[in-house]
Amino acid sequence: MASDSSPGNINGGPSSPDDIISSPIGNTLSSPGDSTRRKRGRRSTSAYATPPPPASSRFATPEATPTLSSTNPRRGRRRVSTATPTGAAATPSSTDDGPPSSEAGDADDADETPPMYVWGTNISVQDVNAAILRFLRHFRENPSQTEGKYMRAINYVIEIEGDSLDVDAHHVFDYDSDLYTKMVRYPLEVLAIFDIVLMDMVSRINPLFEKHIQARIFNLKVSTSMRSLNPSDIEKMVSLKGMIIRCSSIIPEIREAIFRCLVCGYYSDPVVVDRGRINEPLICGKQECLARNSMTLVHNRCRFADKQIVRLQETPDEIPEGGTPHTVSLLMHDKLVDAGKPGDRVEVTGIYRAMTVRIGPTQRTVKSLFKTYIDCLHLKKTDKSRMQAEDPMETENGTARSDEDTVDYDNKVEKLKQLSQLPDIYERLTRSLAPNIWELEDVKKGLLCQLFGGNALTLPSGASFRGDINILLVGDPGTSKSQLLQYIHKLSPRGIYTSGRGSSAVGLTAYVTKDPETGETVLESGALVLSDRGICCIDEFDKMSDNARSMLHEVMEQQTVSIAKAGIIASLNARTSVLACANPIGSRYNPRLSVIDNIHLPPTLLSRFDLIYLILDKADEQIDRRLAKHIVALHFENPEILQEDIIDLPTLTAFMSYARKNIHPQLSDEAAEELTRGYVEMRRRGNFPGSSKKVITATPRQIESLIRLSEALARIRFSEWVEKQDVMEAFRLLEVALQQSATDHSTGTIDMDLITTGVSASERMRRENLVSTTRNIIMEKMQIGGSSTRLLELLEELKKQNSGAEVHLNDLRNALATLASEGFVVVHGDSVKRI
Amino acid sequence: MVGLPYDCLANPLGAVRLTFEKAVASGIDPATFDGKDWGATDLFRDFLYENDGLSQVPTLNDSTIRSLQPNTLVKFRGMIQDMLGNEFYVGAYKDGSVWRTNKFADHSQFPIGSSSDMRVWERRLLYCVPVPGQNSWTESFCQAAVPPFANSTSPAREKRQRENDVDMQDPDHEFQDSPSAKRKREESVPSQSSNLQANKIGETSSNTGLVPDFDGNSFPCLLKMYDSPESDLKLNDVFEFIGVLTFDTELKTDADEVTELNNSLYEEELTHLPPSKVPRIHCLVHRKLAVHDFLSSPTMLEPKPFLVKGIRETLLGHLTAVLGNDGLAAQFMLLHLLSRVHARVDTVAVGKLSLNLTCLNKESISIFGNRLNLAIRNLVPFAHSLPLTIDYLNSVSLAPRKDYQINRLVSGALQLAEGTHLTIDETQLQTGTLNSTGVDNARVLKSLTELQKVEYEFTYYKMDMAADIQMLILSEGKSNILPADLVLPLRPSSVDCYGDVDPELLKAWRWYLATMRSLPHSIEQEMQKVVEDDLVAARQADRSLGSQELSRLLTMGRLVSVSFGDTCLSLDHWQMVKELERLRRERLQGSV
Repeated sequence: MASDSSPGNINGGPSSPDDIISSPIGNTLSSPGDSTRRKRGRRSTSAYATPPPPASSRFATPEATPTLSSTNPRRGRRRVSTATPTGAAATPSSTDDGPPSSEAGDADDADETPPMYVWGTNISVQDVNAAILRFLRHFRENPSQTEGKYMRAINYVIEIEGDSLDVDAHHVFDYDSDLYTKMVRYPLEVLAIFDIVLMDMVSRINPLFEKHIQARIFNLKVSTSMRSLNPSDIEKMVSLKGMIIRCSSIIPEIREAIFRCLVCGYYSDPVVVDRGRINEPLICGKQECLARNSMTLVHNRCRFADKQIVRLQETPDEIPEGGTPHTVSLLMHDKLVDAGKPGDRVEVTGIYRAMTVRIGPTQRTVKSLFKTYIDCLHLKKTDKSRMQAEDPMETENGTARSDEDTVDYDNKVEKLKQLSQLPDIYERLTRSLAPNIWELEDVKKGLLCQLFGGNALTLPSGASFRGDINILLVGDPGTSKSQLLQYIHKLSPRGIYTSGRGSSAVGLTAYVTKDPETGETVLESGALVLSDRGICCIDEFDKMSDNARSMLHEVMEQQTVSIAKAGIIASLNARTSVLACANPIGSRYNPRLSVIDNIHLPPTLLSRFDLIYLILDKADEQIDRRLAKHIVALHFENPEILQEDIIDLPTLTAFMSYARKNIHPQLSDEAAEELTRGYVEMRRRGNFPGSSKKVITATPRQIESLIRLSEALARIRFSEWVEKQDVMEAFRLLEVALQQSATDHSTGTIDMDLITTGVSASERMRRENLVSTTRNIIMEKMQIGGSSTRLLELLEELKKQNSGAEVHLNDLRNALATLASEGFVVVHGDSVKRI
Repeated sequence: MVGLPYDCLANPLGAVRLTFEKAVASGIDPATFDGKDWGATDLFRDFLYENDGLSQVPTLNDSTIRSLQPNTLVKFRGMIQDMLGNEFYVGAYKDGSVWRTNKFADHSQFPIGSSSDMRVWERRLLYCVPVPGQNSWTESFCQAAVPPFANSTSPAREKRQRENDVDMQDPDHEFQDSPSAKRKREESVPSQSSNLQANKIGETSSNTGLVPDFDGNSFPCLLKMYDSPESDLKLNDVFEFIGVLTFDTELKTDADEVTELNNSLYEEELTHLPPSKVPRIHCLVHRKLAVHDFLSSPTMLEPKPFLVKGIRETLLGHLTAVLGNDGLAAQFMLLHLLSRVHARVDTVAVGKLSLNLTCLNKESISIFGNRLNLAIRNLVPFAHSLPLTIDYLNSVSLAPRKDYQINRLVSGALQLAEGTHLTIDETQLQTGTLNSTGVDNARVLKSLTELQKVEYEFTYYKMDMAADIQMLILSEGKSNILPADLVLPLRPSSVDCYGDVDPELLKAWRWYLATMRSLPHSIEQEMQKVVEDDLVAARQADRSLGSQELSRLLTMGRLVSVSFGDTCLSLDHWQMVKELERLRRERLQGSV
């Protein structure tokens, strides 16, 4: 801590070899017994010889005030006595100090005094002072602004009576890279000057403004990783990312003490903390009294500041293979106290510091060890998870955010944009998705669409359309469904992975519990609510209880979870995409049964899935051979060789989150036309000869799905418009999914009714045929208004004609009911009459 | 040579100082070289490996700790249980005009209080424990010869192992007074004791006479590492550390007197790992240990084919006897013992072969379970066994967990060193309800069997740690909690006792397992074709074969040829794999 030495050493002459220490750590030795002081050493150090005036009167003559108050808890200045490290707190020893009055604050006047240097460096205090002043006054983000950005900021701070000014280090760098370098390398000194300049400016603008404004630097050019902090970083400004794991309780720390004489009742002047100690006056200050050992501390007149110790841990992605996360302590003051809670991911700017470890609390000898911590200057919460960036502007420091990230962010965005312009981006992304699972191209494409999602839309009328795409994978065991699921879970911004077998209805939605401490009923979110704006992956969907499954109806279409129990009626947002996977009912797909029978899920639920993929393990030798090759290679070759050119996971997530956040494609006219045309055609396709009624192949739900899919596809290209090609691809995707899942196995056509009603078209056809045969029989056998015929007779006749197929009495009844509704016959109990 | 001017064994710091002075004299400026080695470790390396000093270095363990002097050279073998981050210390300082160093020492020999010129260097702290499940015969290498096949040692060992877990947490609790910690302790103690009870059967009092001061079994050690690249040392790796022992009580009072403030700023190891309880070693030289290093006969035999074949036959015979004359089970057991994870592709751990022996009920488990345990313990250096009961699952935390209160990784039963053999006895499992801990534990066990990964709990997130653990599951029917690669019903035809084993044979077997396990393996182009065709055919015939099964067949192929000491898969061995698989299937169908 070079700063501890007197900065006032004019022309750099050290006055006492004991005290003037070049190494930052050296300082710790100068008063080895006192670790508390070192902990808050920053506060007690000042590079600048200006005696900090009491906040109230900035220009009070410092020589006259032996008790120097400081409102800056972090960097309160005190007069440093150079000659005696153990010297009394505030006795200014004028021997070595620069004349205090000369730089009493106004940097502009500083030129007249001989140049002062931060000890051990060639940094001139005056130069830095001037540079800071210039920066604050003249920095503009763009030349058109008349007033400097920070001048406005200062005015604003004064207006709201704030106590800190956020200074973007990038701005400092842009304006004056030399100042930036000095600031990072000698933060204690430069920041002290910074504060003085600020204080000075503030008092010029508003002499009555009493608060002290501190500069809070953030957004350094380089962010250090916790692992690479090393001794050379000590006393440097660093910026770290990490996760808060523990916060201490708030510690009140005394800043100024006032003593009262027990004998005469005389109140002492405030005594400021010096090196972590309050020096209790031994003698009453009153001339008439002068009683010894009579001073007692008056608690309620002392000033305290908040302090907190926070532990920061490396984020999981920075931990190398086979390592455990590193941690570092942070020291927070004032406003920063409780700024972060355990579990928050934060970016911290601060000064890396070290202090010695004492052998015993009373001993002055130190161990040759140092404990390190970061004196925190600025704390910024970073995104908790990858894609929470959905609404970054809503975060509390949203305004700061928008400009702080710009340079770095712009670069990234530029890269992503370049990526998105690649002609084969769609294929490339598909390849990059779960690269170790091969085949299943179309399933992956569907999943890709799910990750990107469509646009959610809320009409002014209040009707809303979801933008989330739900996908169901049904398939034989061992077709890597679960792996796909796991992969998507890993990739998705936010999401919960559950297994249907272990999920209950409340576990999925929300449940009400009693808070053990307060006894209040509280609502605890379930998996679906927790994965709001993410993807909820549900494995073993078929093994879920019906009760739990029925909860999904609301979530999947309305995107909310409604709760009405225990006095709580609430509707929670659950804007989540559902990715479910299930095994067919007999655990292996039975091609003789219909899809519905295989999946065995209620049609109401099935229709809510946009895409239903059947992943069947077909006996295909070609595929088997590839599998065999793959496995042999896995065992006997260097697995690394298998990698193709794919986009890595971080880029993929960045790409995705950017697209989700910033790209909101709209349907172009052309696309809308194509959509209409395609939809009409899809519906028409249901027509096949021999049936009087149309088979419905597509439903309005499908058209919504199509819109969502094409929007997602446009997003992949970073395009603001949904083009025709997107719509065509969406149709293709839907068809691929449908062909596999909605194929009527007796006719081979796509039949959405199979999914919506559970009755297939061929079944309807059969009924249709039955009706017409019955009609023919009746026409032949009976006259209009003639005698009635018994049902059984009719059945006999039918069986004769329909020699091939089995006809049941029930079928006949159904057919007759249809005929009766046409007004062709009347049915009375067991007898039929033609009318 | 007139003998060294210093004594590396008794006064290693003297040697360090000497080299330092030499280095400074030769013009290296301590102010600039930033703690890098100046030749001290070379000196020790020389002494240890070239001049055969290694055998003279005393081993640090529970029984020797009291006789060892501080500031002498010791060696310690252990597993890295936790990493405690970096520590800054005064590395070099000027005493008057002379540079002194503090490297490899807790305190400086000379007062540094008045020194004005000093350099801060960095070292890493590692928390090491003896390898969990280390079998007694491995120690006989270092200590006086212990009969390698003493019947009583194994159960006792197991019991000690359990205590180990308790003890590791205990020192922490002593300095914890937060209510949660107390609750935790209350919870954990009864559960632990119930486990103890479960294991008490067959316990002998062989370990009561150990050093009373140091609860023998938990013998953690704080390692201070210098100049080692971070990637060198990984969690759960087994190392041999040779360094300067410091073990003092000087700092003992610290814990009581630090205020809360200091407490949270000071690194916790001072408070929670008082130097009076945990010895520190300033590591000069470290070396990663392989299974070989635990063999009692370090003389390496050439893996000659006929020799290997001979050993293989006798070992197979031994296993057959252990398994009640079930030759097929013995074959699979051999493959299982040879397995290791040799590659990881995405989530797939290639090379693992977990075995599930079924058809064991409560009666037969007492015979075969114990026998098997014993046999395995005598063959592999690290073995651990878990009796699975509902109570156990519900009460313990199998996966390691980070305790932020003390900023330490609290070890779980599944924090095991690479290559550890784990026997899980499922026959004791009754019907019952699992609570959330139980479900968690079951999940952890499942992911260990399937992916060879253990999820470490970090409260705010979980971290997967790759593991390489041979899993043997003993159960009545096919285990559902632990889906093993191989399921084989055990068909013992006799329950005869088998006689004692010749120690020489035992040594040969250990050598065989250790060596064969680490053999490289490859497959010829033509053979690849054959294997592929076979796999395709098998899959065409039976659609239920998934990639896992096929992968397992290949693993077996690898292991079969490795068991003969071959590094290349031959057609014969591949045929053997198919035959084994056929027999297994037959038996599996027969048992249904």
